[in-house]
Amino acid sequence: MAFVIEMLNITKEFPGIKANDDVTLQLKQGEIHALLGENGAGKSTLMSVLFGLYQPEQGIIKVRDKEVVIKNPNDANDLGIGMVHQHFKLVHNFTVTENIVLGYEDTKKGFLQLDNARKRIKELSEQYKLRVDPDALIENISVGQQQRVEILKMLYRDSEILIFDEPTAVLTPQEIQELMKIMKRLVSEGKSIILITHKLNEIKAIADRCTILRKGKYIDTVEVKSTSNEVLAEKMVGRKISFGVEKTPAKPKETILKVEEVSITDYITQKIVVKNVCFEVKRGEILTIAGIEGNGQTELIHGITGLKPLTKGKVILKEQDITALSIRQKSLSGISHIPEDRQKHGLVLEYSLENNLILQNYFTTQFQNRGFFKFDNIRDHAEKLIERFDIRSGKGPLSQVRSMSGGNQQKAIVGREIDRNNDLLIAVQPTRGLDVGAIEFIHKQLIQERDQGKAVLLISLELDEVMNLSDRILVMYEGEIVGEFDPQKTTENELGLYMSGSKRGKQQ
Amino acid sequence: MRELIDLIYFLFPLFIATTVPLSIVALGGLFSERSGVVNIALEGIMIMGGFIGIIAMRALIENTELNLQIIAFIGLFTGATFGMLYALAHAFASITMKSNQIISATALNMFAPAMSVFIARTFWNTSNLNLMGNYTISKVPILGDIPIVGQLFFTNAYLSTYIGIIIFIVATAVLYKTRLGLRIRSCGENPHAADSLGVNIYRVRYIGVLISGALAGMGGVIFVLSFATRFSGSVAGFGFLALAVLIFGQWHPKKIIFAALFFATMRVIADTYSVIPGLNMIVMPREIYRMLPYIATLVVLSFASKRSRAPRAVGEPYDPSKR
Amino acid sequence: MKLKTLGSQIVKKVAERPSTISVSASVLAIIAGLFVGFIVMLIINPGQAFAGLRSILFGPFSDMEGGRSLGNTIYYAVPIILTGLSVAFAFRTGLFNIGATGQLTIGAFVAVYIGVNWAFLGPLHWIVAVLGGMLAGAFWGSIPGILKAYRNVHEVVSSIMLNYIAMYTVTMLIKQTIFNATSARALAPETTARLPQWFLGDVFPRSSINIGIFIAMILVVITHIILNKTTFGYELKSVGFNRDASQYAGMSEKRNIILAMAISGGIAGVAGAVMFLVTGRFMSIENHLMAEGFTGIAISLLGLSSPIGVFLAGLFYGALEIGGFYLQRTTNFVPQIIEIIIAVIIYFSALSLFLQKFVANFLSKRLKKEVQISEGSDVL
Repeated sequence: MAFVIEMLNITKEFPGIKANDDVTLQLKQGEIHALLGENGAGKSTLMSVLFGLYQPEQGIIKVRDKEVVIKNPNDANDLGIGMVHQHFKLVHNFTVTENIVLGYEDTKKGFLQLDNARKRIKELSEQYKLRVDPDALIENISVGQQQRVEILKMLYRDSEILIFDEPTAVLTPQEIQELMKIMKRLVSEGKSIILITHKLNEIKAIADRCTILRKGKYIDTVEVKSTSNEVLAEKMVGRKISFGVEKTPAKPKETILKVEEVSITDYITQKIVVKNVCFEVKRGEILTIAGIEGNGQTELIHGITGLKPLTKGKVILKEQDITALSIRQKSLSGISHIPEDRQKHGLVLEYSLENNLILQNYFTTQFQNRGFFKFDNIRDHAEKLIERFDIRSGKGPLSQVRSMSGGNQQKAIVGREIDRNNDLLIAVQPTRGLDVGAIEFIHKQLIQERDQGKAVLLISLELDEVMNLSDRILVMYEGEIVGEFDPQKTTENELGLYMSGSKRGKQQ
Repeated sequence: MRELIDLIYFLFPLFIATTVPLSIVALGGLFSERSGVVNIALEGIMIMGGFIGIIAMRALIENTELNLQIIAFIGLFTGATFGMLYALAHAFASITMKSNQIISATALNMFAPAMSVFIARTFWNTSNLNLMGNYTISKVPILGDIPIVGQLFFTNAYLSTYIGIIIFIVATAVLYKTRLGLRIRSCGENPHAADSLGVNIYRVRYIGVLISGALAGMGGVIFVLSFATRFSGSVAGFGFLALAVLIFGQWHPKKIIFAALFFATMRVIADTYSVIPGLNMIVMPREIYRMLPYIATLVVLSFASKRSRAPRAVGEPYDPSKR
Repeated sequence: MKLKTLGSQIVKKVAERPSTISVSASVLAIIAGLFVGFIVMLIINPGQAFAGLRSILFGPFSDMEGGRSLGNTIYYAVPIILTGLSVAFAFRTGLFNIGATGQLTIGAFVAVYIGVNWAFLGPLHWIVAVLGGMLAGAFWGSIPGILKAYRNVHEVVSSIMLNYIAMYTVTMLIKQTIFNATSARALAPETTARLPQWFLGDVFPRSSINIGIFIAMILVVITHIILNKTTFGYELKSVGFNRDASQYAGMSEKRNIILAMAISGGIAGVAGAVMFLVTGRFMSIENHLMAEGFTGIAISLLGLSSPIGVFLAGLFYGALEIGGFYLQRTTNFVPQIIEIIIAVIIYFSALSLFLQKFVANFLSKRLKKEVQISEGSDVL
């Protein structure tokens, strides 16, 4: 069998880290080849090397048995290599056509010739059943369509080798199904695909072979059909991992948080993003709100914590109506909040670790006296949390948080919020983008909090996490709670149907 | 009636003389900012371009017998060239060195007046460089004979007016109809998208800044030609006014022209209101008219910036590793 | 051998401190500025270039016996220290105050207005005038703050507009209130409103020095404490670095942005008061933006946005200014060379990231060498 791409013994170093260490990847003509690894395993680096964004220190790249040097994306493009990036690379106020031709423009006497391009895009769109309007503005089309524009970009450039970087992260299950169909169609038309992912079930569903990376090193390449999920997972993580999380059944007690008929209208778009949401979280339980990104979860939490005003409804914490309180007052009345975006909301990256660890309580008498800081107490506090939550960094309390790894940044936030010892802990996607070790650590912390009698409200997009951690599950779809489930009695499939809006029930 | 027509004939050239450099410089700023580089150095570039353009013209007047229009043309060309060279310093700092674009531009704004006064005082012992001659075209053949329009547009007109109109048309066409324009706009909105498609962000941004330098440099010469008979190391805040025009015009060529027309109206009123019937009845200090464009820009900013049309990536150095 | 190892360890310690690297970047920017100035002089008049450089560098010490030039160095440094402090304070809170010149103008006008009209205040006159200037500057500075907090208008753009609005407003107000028609400029403040010299007049005889330097010192200390020791400073900096996180932590980001700009503007207002509450300096109606506001940006950068650094950088500027003055006396050079030098320094400060990398690389190479020399034989 002929290889269309061979990346042999690639080594790519960044200051202080070997992102790729002697990695080999061979792509066969007409196959879907999965590239599996955790965050930070070196997948993106490897693909960036193939795409000409980085130059490897060692190793060679062969395209159709010919050794090549890829200096920039243009070279990759000329060799027929195209990539759908995880974060779409689209200009929001350009039309679909303008986005596709950018960098590959046809001109006549210096003027752009968009008509031919538009025609070609229509043809391609029909051939691969992509259903994209060439004249639509990017900001007006759905995420799924935007991804298909990315695919069209590659097809327009006659790419034969297509790289998909975590393509399903932003899609609904229906859109994922659709995408898989498209990928199969592409392969059947003779294209070859590299699929970058860390989701095993996707690999199982669609890939032919799979190459596994771990911490920058090449681990193995296997036939997907004859390899079990467990084996794949073990190769990815480097040890046996339990898919389940150990925990005892919940012993829920009195209600801590009560959300009553909350609605939120988005200020800019004037859309209703949260509709009449009601639920309760009890002491000693983990309530999870599951759903696909962008169905109102973020806004709901912002509404509860005060970052966004409610249009309607009430938030009651320990029988006290806190709806009208300020963010600070809400937080002080007993809410710990691990925010969705740790770098945007959770941390001040320019501050030292110790200064970040007092972000929520710098104003208390523990840390200040008449407005002047008690620096010794701040240091003690930091050292205590660093030890208790195993926060690793270069210079301890004085490390600049920007220089810390994502996992340790997240541990700092988790530590800070748990240490405040509030009755309600809100955790929004607390494990996003972390490696397995950090994920396990944070899961344990959440369960421990529950067992110590805290009410935990978890927002998660990952179904594994939802099934493993929750004591009760709510599914949110288009701003509404469309169902409540017992994790013991439901399946990921059932949740998926509700998450995608194809089924909905009355809230119990 | 006769008086009104005379008044219009009196005001119109002033009006054009203000509008043309404002819009040319603002269009220059447009290219820089649409490519993603903030350019508050327009003032400094105008001074540098104007200064060297005037030096060139003085040398030509002294040493040659060339027609004044040709000299003016060479002056404009020289101003554009040196404006471009000067803008290169801003491009280097803000694109290659990824520096803070405001700081780099501030340096350019300080350097140009200092350098021009320094050179003028060193070589000519004065900070005011006089420029001899009348650079208006007394009458364009044929077109100048058209009633009213001919008198307004084609008699006692400046060469720069026609150049300005050409620049507007070319600039709009380049920005919206050519490959370069598409790339410039993409770099200002989403450089990562452009980069992933093989567009060389750095090159495109250099081009954007250099175009702005050329236009601002030319604008500096036009400013001196139309307003002053001498150059004294200043363009009286015109560069910053052009920046206001750019913002007031929401980074769009046509709207920029309207913004320039509006600003020019205010300025002409400020300078002439005492002779305008009607306006001279309302006693309002000329400073009020002078500051109106800036206030208007502030008002527009405070009501538009939630949905501002400013290029999304403007002001951010391109860093390929940030996605 | 041991001594050498110890020495290289100390070098290493100092070199590894981030502040060492950024300070050397500032020094490099100054050297670059002086170098360009020197080259320009060399091109214009090679014979006098060295004398010119000497005047620029040693101007403040040129007539030591009287201490006059040293006193004048301080006199010139004070407004620049204050505008530099104004810009630096805003910088530290994540804001770029390019509007210091406008705040300074407004502050100067109010100070002079009080200085001309409120003679009844007697010995309190100058104090009230300075405070008036401060409040006026704070008011003017709060406008871009309010526009940013509530309307999301970038402070740089609004400040540029406000600079011109301030300039025209003040010209208009001078003409209407404190106009000296014969000399077409503002009236001079009463003597009670001028900043006293106290003992400084004896220490630096014949110089224009006044207690402005103490005002500057007090403000340097206060801003240093606010920024580094207080919860207020912590909030201001948080909001500057990350508005979203500050909001999440329950800080009022709007209030903090406005306060930061108001404080920054207030300091610039004091600069304006200090500049014009003196003998022999008058506010003009010529509609020029005052350069001190922009020079403040340079000083803030050179001082690495730390109040104490700004103080030193401001003194350096005062020295340059005096140097320019002596330059004119001793050589044929035009004093604009000083402005050229300042502009080049700003430009190189803009490149500070690059300079810092350059210094860091240089130091690490040196260190490797040193370490190899001192430890090489022992360890390897």
